[in-house]
Amino acid sequence: MTTQPLDAFQVIADPSRRQMMRLLSKDSMTINALAENFNMSRPAVSKHIKIMYNAGFISITDIGRERHCTLKKDGFDELQDWINYFDKFWERKLKKLETLLNNKTSNK
Amino acid sequence: MTSEINHIWLFNKSPQEVWDYLTKPELLEQWLAKTDFQPIVGHKFYFIGKNNCLTHCEVLEVKPYTQLSYSWQANTANDNKRFDSTVVWKLVPKENGTELHLVHHGFISIEDYTGHKNGWTILINGLIEHLNTIKK
Repeated sequence: MTTQPLDAFQVIADPSRRQMMRLLSKDSMTINALAENFNMSRPAVSKHIKIMYNAGFISITDIGRERHCTLKKDGFDELQDWINYFDKFWERKLKKLETLLNNKTSNK
Repeated sequence: MTSEINHIWLFNKSPQEVWDYLTKPELLEQWLAKTDFQPIVGHKFYFIGKNNCLTHCEVLEVKPYTQLSYSWQANTANDNKRFDSTVVWKLVPKENGTELHLVHHGFISIEDYTGHKNGWTILINGLIEHLNTIKK
């Protein structure tokens, strides 16, 4: 089964996936336990899990007959990278604005 | 982990002067980017950045000399996938000038800043706790 990989923003844009991560942020869960919280088919839950797994938001460990999902840092790091990028972007721009305003003769 | 960007800068200029630099295209171009911005709610505009990279925006709020906000729809670098966010400017008059507050938020999805305002914050707070316990 191939799933088109989504970027971190697309992964987290979906309300069901956010809800799944919220549940997983409390503790690791089996796919079955996770699925019980959602009014959707088991294949639909599996698809969401696959998407989160592919984007590095969760890891999956087989313990006995159960598959356990655990939140993983990588996906969130990508989000953080983007937010950091914009943080630096605005800092640079605001410095430029400051220079402009400082050099401006006040008209008041 | 932070989910929004905050900057506060103090300029020794009046709110009117700072406002001009946030709203007049010829002044915006000097420090931010080339744009066809107009301070009219609902106006759709763009910023042209480096390499002709377009950011699509729409004016959400205009309170002259006080507050300005617009949506900010940028492409992620590698693959041209877009994400939405919101830029909010607040101008606070001070004795010796103007405090300019910038908040850039809503990086995740449109519903995070309309319907479920706290969704992302709650998620992030839970995650910080959890991720701190994960081995690097």
